[in-house]
Amino acid sequence: MTSLLTRVKSKMSLFAHRKARGMLDGQYGSVFRGRSLDFDDLRAYIPGDDVRDIDWKASARHGSPLIKRYVAVRRQTVLLIADTGRNMAAEALDGEPKRDIAVMALGVVGYLAHRHGDVVGLVCGDGTTTRTVPAKAGEAHLERLLQEIDSAATLDSGPSRIEAQLEHVARTVKGRFLLFVVADEATAGPDTEPLLRRLRAQHEILWLTIRDADLAGGTAGQDAFSVADSSALPGHLAAAPAIVEAYARAAAERDAGRQAMFRRTGITVGHVTGSSTVMSGLFALLERHRRAG
Amino acid sequence: MELTFWWVIPPAMILAAMVPWRAFRPDPQANARRRPVANADRLTALPEYQAALRRHRRWLAVAALAAGTLLLSAAAAAARPAQLTTIRPEQRNRDIMLCLDTSGSMSSADSAVVKVFAHLATEFDGERIGLTIFDSSAVQVFPLTDDYEYVQQQLKLAGDAFDGNAGSAGFLDGTWNGRGSSLIGDGLASCVNGFPGVDAADAGKQRSRSVILATDNYLSGDPIFTLEQAGALAQDRGIRVHALNPGDFDYGPGPGQPGARLRAAAETSGGTYHPLDSPEAVAGIVRNVQETEAAAMQGAPRAVVSDVPDVPLTVALLSGLVLAGASWRLRA
Repeated sequence: MTSLLTRVKSKMSLFAHRKARGMLDGQYGSVFRGRSLDFDDLRAYIPGDDVRDIDWKASARHGSPLIKRYVAVRRQTVLLIADTGRNMAAEALDGEPKRDIAVMALGVVGYLAHRHGDVVGLVCGDGTTTRTVPAKAGEAHLERLLQEIDSAATLDSGPSRIEAQLEHVARTVKGRFLLFVVADEATAGPDTEPLLRRLRAQHEILWLTIRDADLAGGTAGQDAFSVADSSALPGHLAAAPAIVEAYARAAAERDAGRQAMFRRTGITVGHVTGSSTVMSGLFALLERHRRAG
Repeated sequence: MELTFWWVIPPAMILAAMVPWRAFRPDPQANARRRPVANADRLTALPEYQAALRRHRRWLAVAALAAGTLLLSAAAAAARPAQLTTIRPEQRNRDIMLCLDTSGSMSSADSAVVKVFAHLATEFDGERIGLTIFDSSAVQVFPLTDDYEYVQQQLKLAGDAFDGNAGSAGFLDGTWNGRGSSLIGDGLASCVNGFPGVDAADAGKQRSRSVILATDNYLSGDPIFTLEQAGALAQDRGIRVHALNPGDFDYGPGPGQPGARLRAAAETSGGTYHPLDSPEAVAGIVRNVQETEAAAMQGAPRAVVSDVPDVPLTVALLSGLVLAGASWRLRA
C-alpha cells in the first residue's frame, strides 16, 4: 500500500512551486496563535505570519524580516472530523472520488499541524457508526489516520450523516480543540444549526466542503447511479435544459442556505472541487479564518 | 388458417419469455459502467426530472410493447400462415355451336341469341364457338373457332341480318333452295356434324359440346333427318342440345305437338328446353344455359395452399416503425 502521507507531501511540494509551501505554514501558525515565552529560534518571515511575531531587532541585523518562534506551551489538538459514509465514495465535481479529496485535505492540515508540533486526532464514520482515534503526534499516526479514512469510505459504508460525528464530538470531547471538518454539500437542516452553535461555543471550527458532482448539465451526460440505493440515473434525462435550470436553481438555494448557516454560527468555510484545488482552497480557508479570528 | 412451419412457434415463445427475464434480471455489473454520485435525491426529487422520467418510462413501455409485438408477429410470419382452400377449377374447353332457324318467324329470337353471344364472346377464354344457320338447307357461317374478334364481327353481321338492316340481305344466302322451309332435323344434323373429330375416341381430351338450337319447330317440307333422328345423332356423339322456342303454341299436352317434340329431342340429348315469351328473355336463358354447362364441366376439387402473410407482416412492419420511433425518442 502506497503511503497516503507521501502523496499529500508530494502534492504540497508541487504547490510550493507556485506559492511558497511555507505560506501554508504561516497561515496555519497564525490560526493557532500558539505563543509562549520560551523562545525557540528565528525563521524568515513568510507572508501570513502575524506582524507581532516579527523580531524587529534581529530583522534589522539580518536585513530581512525574521519571525520569532516559540516552543508552544500547550500542544494544540487538531481534531479531524471526516465523513466516511457512502457519499464520500461518490464523485466530486471534478470527477474524482470525494474520499481522495478528503484524504488530501485532511492530510495537508494534519501535516501542517504535525509540523507545528500539534497532536492530531480523528473522528470519522457514517450515519450508523462513529469511530474515534485519539490525538497523537507523529507522521506514522497521521498516516494511520489517513489509511483509516481511505479504507472506511467505500460504497459499502453506511449512509453519510456528518451530524452524527458532530454530535459525537459534542457529547464526548472536552477541552478546546481546532475542529477541521471535511464533508460534502450537507444540507442546512433545522437540527444542524443548534449543533454547530453548540460546538462553536467550545471549539474553533474550520469547515471544508467538497463540492458534489453536478447531476444535471456539465458531465451529467453519462449514466450515473446513486450511492444511496444503487438506482440508475439515465444521463440523457438530466441533460434536458429545463432540468438543468431547475437543478442549478435548487443547488444555488441550497448553497445560499448553507453559507447563511455557517455565517450565523461563525464557522469559516471553504470549498474544493477536486484534489487539484485542495491547496488553494485550504489556503483561502486558513487565510479567511486568520482574518476572522 | 394453418401454419406451415408450426414448430417455429415454441422456440419463439421461449425466446419471447427469455427476453423479459434477461431484460429485468438485475445486472450486478451494471453500475460498474456508471459513475457513483451522492445526494441523487436532490435531482430525482425535482418535479421537472420526475416528469421527464415518466415520459421516459412511457416511451420505454411503448418500445417494449412494440418489440414484443414485433417478435410475435415476426414469429407468426415465420411460421408461414397459409390458407387451405379447395377450388373447383372451371374448365374452359367447351365447344358451342349456335344453330339458328332463319325462317321469317324466328328473326327476333335469332337476333337476341347472336347479340347475347356477341357479348359472351368478349368473356370467352378457350371456348370455341361456331354458327350455323338453316332454313331449307343449312349454311355454316363460321366453324368452331376461338378467334373471338372474327366471331364478334360475324355475330354482328348476323345480328344486322336478323334485324333486317339494309345491306345485310346476302347474309342469309344459301339457306333456301326450295325444298321446303324450316327443315329442322336437317339443320340440327348439320350442326352436329359441324363438330370436328366426333369419331375420335380419346375421351380424356373430350371437349364439352353443346348446341344452342333456336327454332319454333314448325316444319314445312320433307327433311332428310327428322328431328328425332337428329336428336339421336346428337346423343350418340355426346352433344347436348339446348332448345329455345319463341313460338311454343302447342295445342294441349300431346307428344305430337311441335313444342313437345322439340322438348323431347333436347332432353333426350341431355340438354334443356326453354320456351320464349319474348326475345328479351333470351339473354337470361342463354346465361343460365352457359352456367349450367360450366357447372357440369367443372373439374375435380383441388386443395390449394396459399400463403397469407399480409396480416403478421403488416403488424410487424407497423410495430417495427413504432419501435424505431420509440428508440429514436429514447435516445434523444
